[in-house]
Amino acid sequence: MSDLRITEAFLYMDYLCFRALCCKGPPPARPEYDLVCIGLTGSGKSSLLSKLCSESQESVVSTTGFSIKAVPFQNAILNVKELGGADNIRKYWSRYYQGSQGVIFVLDSASSEDDLETARNELHSALQHPQLCTLPFLILANHQDKPAARSVQEIKKYFELEPLARGKRWILQPCSVDDMDALKDSFSQLINLLEEKDLEAMRI
Amino acid sequence: MARWYFKRTWQLGEDQVRSLSRNNARPKCFVSGAMVPVRPGVGYVWRLTVSRRPGFHTSLTLDQRGPGLHADPSSIPRTHLKVVGDYLCKPEDNVYSIDFTRFKIRDLETGTVLFEIAKPCISDQDQDAEEESVDVDISVGRFVRYQFTPAFLRLRTVGATVEFTVGDRPVSNFRMIERHYFRERLLKNFDFDFGFCIPSSRNTCEHIYEFPQLSEDVIRLMIENPYETRSDSFYFVDNKLIMHNKADYAYNGGQ
Repeated sequence: MSDLRITEAFLYMDYLCFRALCCKGPPPARPEYDLVCIGLTGSGKSSLLSKLCSESQESVVSTTGFSIKAVPFQNAILNVKELGGADNIRKYWSRYYQGSQGVIFVLDSASSEDDLETARNELHSALQHPQLCTLPFLILANHQDKPAARSVQEIKKYFELEPLARGKRWILQPCSVDDMDALKDSFSQLINLLEEKDLEAMRI
Repeated sequence: MARWYFKRTWQLGEDQVRSLSRNNARPKCFVSGAMVPVRPGVGYVWRLTVSRRPGFHTSLTLDQRGPGLHADPSSIPRTHLKVVGDYLCKPEDNVYSIDFTRFKIRDLETGTVLFEIAKPCISDQDQDAEEESVDVDISVGRFVRYQFTPAFLRLRTVGATVEFTVGDRPVSNFRMIERHYFRERLLKNFDFDFGFCIPSSRNTCEHIYEFPQLSEDVIRLMIENPYETRSDSFYFVDNKLIMHNKADYAYNGGQ
């Protein structure tokens, strides 16, 4: 090793000793955030989360309860509780909101008008729910690879995000299960929002 | 993480206590009774009833107060370092018909699925894992025996996925406490709150296990002593124990 590297190594060890003595523990691991992931059935929640966890898509079936996954990112771990979106399961969504620090809402950009309306109603309920209304939202306009997919602008307008979600923190991103880079970027933005909220909470 | 520490034991039945700890495989005392929270909220006091024969009871009390507390070692009978030699509840206590249907372990550093088993009971060998291979022997529904190769103990982080179904009653406050032991030594304590479970649902949960730091000596002992690494998984609904599963582990596979 060169002299510089040796010096760096010693400095790092000093740092570790300092932390161990002062903080009585190892350097902090990545922060963890608890999130809830909702959206209508078929919107692609399970597929997107599986892809982020480097799992095969073949094993993905319709979720009929909850599916908890720890999704690792470079600077954080997201503990995501994904909830099934079928009619008979949606009524239980609010049982899982407690303790969430953020929300991921997934919608099918190419769905029928009726389904899109249902999705809008669900999103509005979530945005206004007392346990979620102060939390950051990541809204994913999924299935962008389908020909019938509506654009982000259309979705933003239809879902009335500007007026309704004013004063709240939200991100609307187009995505599809084939474009991992865009998906990871969306999550990075969400992690930034979560970190900001953490800092805010510490200042209080 | 809560640690178990022992509160007190009745003087009667010291013999039973000693024989329980000495001979875990076939306890001379029959361990029965469900664990019942006596003072919820303040700290749970679990009462474990050991009966030698009908009409004769000795109670051992475990007191869970919170993290970081240790009892005076001399007051802990050795039986409490390892939870029990037998099951703490009966299969019929599972009134919510919770059924475990799948278990999967994957190495988080490479993403490789190391092990996966799903109902109906099957023996599976993962061809993709070059070094780690697994043999599973499913005997009774609540006991599983695993055999891994020594390389398994070199893993640092794994994701363990468990899938379960729920009967037609909604389940509130479903919680799992899992403890892994090598002989008398607690390797890992895991406490996870699932919360509410929707009736007639199928749910999965993946949690990240970081392997405890083990010395080379302990690793060697674990490899040389198959099935002396054991785990107890306790499942509670509203703080009442409804299921108790056990497993044991060998790390000498492929040799």
